[in-house]
Amino acid sequence: MLRWKYSRPLLALLLIVLAIAPMFTSLPLGKPGLQQTMAVAFIWGALALTYDLLFGFTGLLSFGHALYFATGVYVSCILINHDVVSWWLAALIAIASSGLLAALVGAASLRTTGITFAMVTLAFGEAGHVIVGKNFFNLTGGENGIALNAERIPQFWIGVFNTKYIYWTALLALIITYLVIWWVTESSAGKVFAALRDNEQRVQVLGLNTQRFKLLSFVISGTLAGMLGFVMLIAAGSAAPRFAESTVTIALLLMVVIGGAVTRWGAVLGGIFYSIASTRMQDLTQQESFASIPKWIGGPIAEPALLLGIIFIFIVMFAPGGLSGAYYRLRLRALTRKSS
Amino acid sequence: MNALSVKDLHVKINESHILHGVSFEVPVNKVTVLLGRNGVGKSTTLRSIMGFYEGTGSISLNGKEILGMQTYKIAQSGVAFVPEDREIFASLTVRENLSLASREKNSDAAYKLVYSLFPELDTRASQIAGSLSGGQQQMVAIARALLNKNEILLVDEPTKGLAPKLVSEVAEVLMRVAEHSTMLLVEQNLSLVKKIAQHVIVMDQGRVVYQGGPEKLNDASWVHQMLGVSGGHK
Amino acid sequence: METFILIGITGIGLGALYFLVASGLSLIYGLMGVLNFAHGSFLSVGAFVGYWLARNLGPETSMSEFILAMIIGGLAAGAFALLVEQLLITRLYDRHIDQALVTVGVSLVVGALLGGWFTNDLQIFPTPLWFYTAVNVGGAMIPADRVVYIATAVLLLIANWALLKFTRIGLIIRAGVENRHMVNALGVNVRLAFSTVFFLGGFAAGVGGVLVSVYSNGVSPLIAGTYLIYGFIVVVIGGMGSVPGSFIAAMLIGVIRQFANYYVTGLGDFVVVILLAGVLLIRPQGLLGKARA
Repeated sequence: MLRWKYSRPLLALLLIVLAIAPMFTSLPLGKPGLQQTMAVAFIWGALALTYDLLFGFTGLLSFGHALYFATGVYVSCILINHDVVSWWLAALIAIASSGLLAALVGAASLRTTGITFAMVTLAFGEAGHVIVGKNFFNLTGGENGIALNAERIPQFWIGVFNTKYIYWTALLALIITYLVIWWVTESSAGKVFAALRDNEQRVQVLGLNTQRFKLLSFVISGTLAGMLGFVMLIAAGSAAPRFAESTVTIALLLMVVIGGAVTRWGAVLGGIFYSIASTRMQDLTQQESFASIPKWIGGPIAEPALLLGIIFIFIVMFAPGGLSGAYYRLRLRALTRKSS
Repeated sequence: MNALSVKDLHVKINESHILHGVSFEVPVNKVTVLLGRNGVGKSTTLRSIMGFYEGTGSISLNGKEILGMQTYKIAQSGVAFVPEDREIFASLTVRENLSLASREKNSDAAYKLVYSLFPELDTRASQIAGSLSGGQQQMVAIARALLNKNEILLVDEPTKGLAPKLVSEVAEVLMRVAEHSTMLLVEQNLSLVKKIAQHVIVMDQGRVVYQGGPEKLNDASWVHQMLGVSGGHK
Repeated sequence: METFILIGITGIGLGALYFLVASGLSLIYGLMGVLNFAHGSFLSVGAFVGYWLARNLGPETSMSEFILAMIIGGLAAGAFALLVEQLLITRLYDRHIDQALVTVGVSLVVGALLGGWFTNDLQIFPTPLWFYTAVNVGGAMIPADRVVYIATAVLLLIANWALLKFTRIGLIIRAGVENRHMVNALGVNVRLAFSTVFFLGGFAAGVGGVLVSVYSNGVSPLIAGTYLIYGFIVVVIGGMGSVPGSFIAAMLIGVIRQFANYYVTGLGDFVVVILLAGVLLIRPQGLLGKARA
């Protein structure tokens, strides 16, 4: 992959700007509204990155990734609300549960490969959605979900004026996720993941247990998704079945493909873009000027899925590699021009 | 007069370069045998002629370029293929396997020829092809290729994995077929090759290293050098 | 006993709906290796075209008008499926992951269009009055609409079987499921089979869409998702590429789900997933699927 000697200092600068901007109330990022939007976008960016580890780096097309995210949301919310343990222990237990569940489901579904694997993970993911929607033992609140009991978490996360703390928490979660996945994918295990994606037989010939490496990738990804579930609980203030829907996983897939797989920053950017685009589209279509557009055009446009779906089809058909892929192609062109 | 002419054929499969400029001719109405050690690209050459892989260079059939054409069109222009491992349709009956392959409007004569070569296929027409023995499956695979009028027959290791008795049966059929058709045959069984070959091509590491008459096959040291096998034994 | 028959037949009726979705999914996957997420949108297209037609045919829908709506809905869905195949799928020949991704995109776009035009709320599907009567089966009073689901599914299964067994295109499809490259090498254009399978799969899904709308008390773009997921589960349990396998699995899942839901509300979906996990552990290739090397 191409390296650019300024990329790391620039990234550090960007992070510093993102980190201190909320402190200046005159800046757009000083407003709680944008802070909340960005916090949610960071969580999606990080979640997309965990999905990139599976889909991009290991070549596992899972359709059940929402399960581990939702486990993080629900387990931490239930433990906190019922005052079983303190909030941070609840978060740790929730993360561990996501990892454990990923290990179990992964062990069963990795008996299949390719497209069957996609279907099987989809089925397990849907089972999770069905279970939280049913309100067994009065735990999950059924279709309405459960509101987080704000008294049992630190007060700096509560209230509109404290939104910047949620923003910082989400940014921190994104950085942790990025560092873990950077470390995993650059490590020797990461090289095996990449080799698995390209040619599984070759890895088998080397005498490595391919199943164990795939499972490792599946569990790391699921555990991180659990952590992000906890952060989403803090940001959203409630646990709802929409976090467990298969549409979450499909959205993650869109984010990774739009941003570009296997580049890490592509997935993060795709997630942030997707999250902001869907929120902004809804705001935009609620404005009065929008009502003047004929309903047969305006109706579908009001659904964010339309534009995102079209962008997605376009990228799959004509621009594989997404945003980051296009960037690297441009840089490659610039480099070859310089050398010739 | 050449039925098939391959010029400077390069083929890459999954980024690895398999054929490095293969060139050879297949003379009309003769049996051309393609020889070489394992993994030198013989099967890839046949499959490339069939249009299974993309490649550069030229493959012409009776002067008409077929490289880059879709597989089914190549087959329709008169290239019949008997693949390695037979690739018959295991869940279909023998009759269904044959009727899928048969594209001629008036196929009675072709069927008569096939059933005269392989009387067993007639009696086992309703049997599921997957339940046939290896030799019978090979017969289905060859029969499929004979049901249409062909310019050339590509036959890939027809005796592979067969018992010695079946090898001679298949050999007999091939020789009868060879009487009135052009054939490009990949075969490891040297005694069969010596009997049937009228033109010989030897490949090594994705290139053609010898092309010429079959007399060389009687030169044991040449055979040993070219194929890494001893030519003296059967 | 009556309760037992009622639940059993309702389960079979539900299974029939699953089968209508799964048969196409299974053939499309078996023949082309395409995991078709757009199948749910075929169902929606069939449902909405049938709904539009039934609404415009007059205030009271007769049985023949309903059947007409079903057929036209099926044809529209089939035509749409063919369009998706020709416009998108064939251009990504043999790029299976990208093919699956593109169908995800199609399902999003169709969902957004239908949601934008018709809203996501349930709108009552006009049905013949006969649907609200009951049929006596062994003492149990079975709602008549269930009989329609089962009859339609059985009819399509037989038609499907006859087509696969007795026509040349059926022969090409069966051979193609096994080894499409060899079909090509025999001089037979296997892409004709691809298009046929997409059309037929779309048709079955479209007919299923009309029936699903009756079962769910109305049309909505949101209904398709659930049936698509059940369709996938049926295909995995029944074995990829096997239509009879899909039929058996669909009936099994429909019946098991109904019985589980009867004893503990909401348990049905859970039991189905357990069943799926069990089948995968014991027979990863599904009930009638062939083990892949």
